[in-house]
Amino acid sequence: MGRSYIVEDDVEGYLSRLCSQLAGPVTGLLIGQSMVQRDFVVMATRTPQNNESSDGGKSVDKEWVSEHARQVSRMLPGGLSVLGVFLISESDAKETLTTLRQLVFSVENLISSERLWTPADDDVTDCVTLHVNPKTRKTVCRTFDVKDPKSMAKPADWKYQSGVCSSWATVSCCLSVDLMVPLPENMAFTRNMGDCLKGELKVWAQQIERGVCLIEGRKLPEDSELKAGQKKNVRQTISAQLLITPDVQTAADVVQRCGGCVSVSGAIHSRAFLHSNKPKAKLAEKLLKRDIVSTVATRVQMLLEEPQTQNEENKGRKQTEQFCLPRRVFCPVKSTGPLSVCDYQFSDEGLSEMTDRFKEMLDMDAAEEDLDATQEMIAEVIESEVTEESAEENEMLDPWRNNYIGVAMATAVALLALAASIVYLSDV
Amino acid sequence: ILADSESAVILRLRGPLDLKCLLDSIDVVPMQKAISRTFEALRLQVKSESCVLAVCNSPVLIWPNKSVFEEISPDAPCEDIFQFIQTDDQETSGNRSAKKKNKKRVSASVINLSLMMEATKPGPVSAPILTRTVQKSHLLCATLPMDCAIWSSCSDTIKDGCERLMKALTRQLFEMEKVTLQCMKGTTLLIPEPLHFLLPEPNGLVTVVFPSGVPDKELEAQRQELHGQFELPDNKPFFRRANTYHFPNEPYKDGYLRNPHTVLTHPTLDNGKVYLVQGIYSYHHYMQDRMDDNGWGCAYRSLQTICSWFQQQGYVERGVPSHKEIQQALVEVGDKQASFVGSRQWIGSIEVQAVLNHLLGVTSKIMFVSQGSELASKGRELANHFMTEGTPVMIGGGVLAHTILGIAWSETTGEIRYLILDPHYTGAEDLPVITEKGWCGWKGPDFWDQTAYYNLCLPQRPRVI
Repeated sequence: MGRSYIVEDDVEGYLSRLCSQLAGPVTGLLIGQSMVQRDFVVMATRTPQNNESSDGGKSVDKEWVSEHARQVSRMLPGGLSVLGVFLISESDAKETLTTLRQLVFSVENLISSERLWTPADDDVTDCVTLHVNPKTRKTVCRTFDVKDPKSMAKPADWKYQSGVCSSWATVSCCLSVDLMVPLPENMAFTRNMGDCLKGELKVWAQQIERGVCLIEGRKLPEDSELKAGQKKNVRQTISAQLLITPDVQTAADVVQRCGGCVSVSGAIHSRAFLHSNKPKAKLAEKLLKRDIVSTVATRVQMLLEEPQTQNEENKGRKQTEQFCLPRRVFCPVKSTGPLSVCDYQFSDEGLSEMTDRFKEMLDMDAAEEDLDATQEMIAEVIESEVTEESAEENEMLDPWRNNYIGVAMATAVALLALAASIVYLSDV
Repeated sequence: ILADSESAVILRLRGPLDLKCLLDSIDVVPMQKAISRTFEALRLQVKSESCVLAVCNSPVLIWPNKSVFEEISPDAPCEDIFQFIQTDDQETSGNRSAKKKNKKRVSASVINLSLMMEATKPGPVSAPILTRTVQKSHLLCATLPMDCAIWSSCSDTIKDGCERLMKALTRQLFEMEKVTLQCMKGTTLLIPEPLHFLLPEPNGLVTVVFPSGVPDKELEAQRQELHGQFELPDNKPFFRRANTYHFPNEPYKDGYLRNPHTVLTHPTLDNGKVYLVQGIYSYHHYMQDRMDDNGWGCAYRSLQTICSWFQQQGYVERGVPSHKEIQQALVEVGDKQASFVGSRQWIGSIEVQAVLNHLLGVTSKIMFVSQGSELASKGRELANHFMTEGTPVMIGGGVLAHTILGIAWSETTGEIRYLILDPHYTGAEDLPVITEKGWCGWKGPDFWDQTAYYNLCLPQRPRVI
């Protein structure tokens, strides 16, 4: 039996517009939720233009598509994920199948490389590919099992329906985060800080996964069903709580030398969506915990990618610096319905930069007043402290994020250069 | 703290707390200040509204600092919590019959609670800040194994019980801080470890914080102070690590039965009194430890039972010796030839006395009766032994050895019964079988071979703390 994708009506219109507007092959991502029995696609977004592409965007660039997917994945709250890719092109079936296959594996590999939570055994590992012929508008939908590198394409159903974005339950919470990790004695800076933080985040992620999740104040048996999500178009939010216990430290020496420490302290708003009339408590818990881990890891990663955190000068004196992690801002997927996507706003950015990014990454036309920036506030930060007078000032750096995807792209290329073999496709 | 032990409930709260701080300087005073500050932060944390007590194996959750009680009412008695607990305790028919037989279980029931912190809180919230401190320093990182236990009487409400537990938790943090600072040497820190001891009335269940990893012999000064504080005799250990209270329904890891005699109903004699072994012993018998000593090892097993008593009362740290180790000890004291080791030769009371002396440093008295019928007249001596020494007695004679765990004796009529632990049992550690079939049971004077002579080894309790 093939998989069955129930797709929001609007996506049909979107893909149709892409067919008529653009020449050359168009790639993009399909976003939604995969359940064991069925899959729901809530939106589609085309791959943004690559200004630096060598052939002006005429061929399909696997790295570019994957990098876009990685960025988009960071913008999806719990429960929503990149389910697969679409390709609008007039190429013949065999070529497109190869292209789609490579895209889907590359996308999934890149996204999963950033994940700090461990996948569950019952997670769906099929990804969807959709090929649309712009002339005939004929669509072919197939899936690949990304856990199996030799997986063959399996046909799948692609069905449009209205109201797919409506009947979702939302589970959310605000969670305190308090991490402290020592820095090694000899400094080779940010690389070490990043590694130390990632190590600590992994431990923290396990703590979260082990935590006891309460729904509406109670610990529910795993298979019990939650009552929300039964009415269409009504925002129903389930509140959750998380109880945790610290890891037991097993280091032999209680006191160890270090070169300082890094701490992450504050709180985050976490949100996950479940498509169902009667979502299960176990699923709500799983998706919420994943979102908690992802949102913190994403922000730390984003901060580490910022140029100003990469600036290092330690001359052996005590130095304390504080950096604000970006805050989470939500944007509704449709004007009605509970679904939203999110992005992260640094203290020196305005809401207009948010709307620009929603447009670039998710092809969403959002106005500033549509955005929900009320869940989190950016914290106050102290001035950098240096114990001795220093002649040099800390540099004033521009919050350089003009080409958002460009910065991340540079990092991505460096990562991919080791492993990937780049496949160029001929022009259509 | 007093409680009618049959209906008493122990509330036990356990959970880890992170002790983590950056030490700018490892000079004594700044380090002490930093540690004290960290402990103060922990005390604030357990007083905060995010502190949660979760009753193990149940849906019951309590936020003690904001009086939120999930699933139960705060004014209900503590025992009501048991209704919500699902255990895997198999109610095998064996257990059931043992429970029926024994009405006077000395142990109380335990409610285990876990200490947790709620990480969630109401929004909106302030997004996280990353702070990077670069400085050559030290990081202190340890886990405090919090473990508080309070004895609650049947009239205590859940609310009261939790309040007392939280007070105990704060007190324990103070004590841990004290022990940590006292035992600090340079950058070596010992993790404080709470241990529970069941003291004689009126003290009851008491929790003391010791530095972990420090052997008993280095803690004598602390023990003396405790003996003074609790007005305990100074010739009997109460605060050695082996004396820690064994909570009911916590299984023993080694699998041996403890004190099987406690499930028995003791005989009532006219003007009679029961004089029993004091403390905890393990039942050692034929075929245990994959050692087939059927037919020759009975005295060895009795000796093992006695050794287990000395270990569990804290007099020795050494584990129960094996048959080979017992034989080796006898060779070392010159009592036997080297060929004795590995043989299946019997031993008697004199050998038991020698091994107790050589391996455990324990002296024993030997009592001799020329005929089994004379044993009936030894009531007073045996009663005195159990009252002042309280150790199990090994008796050998004829071709058999047994362990005497106590007597029932009437001073006026002279009637006597003996509580016998029989090392000749070859089966599994099945308490109902052992007690119902008399492998541990009360015997009359005719149990002994009336014409054979017997030697008894009465181990003497060292007068130490």
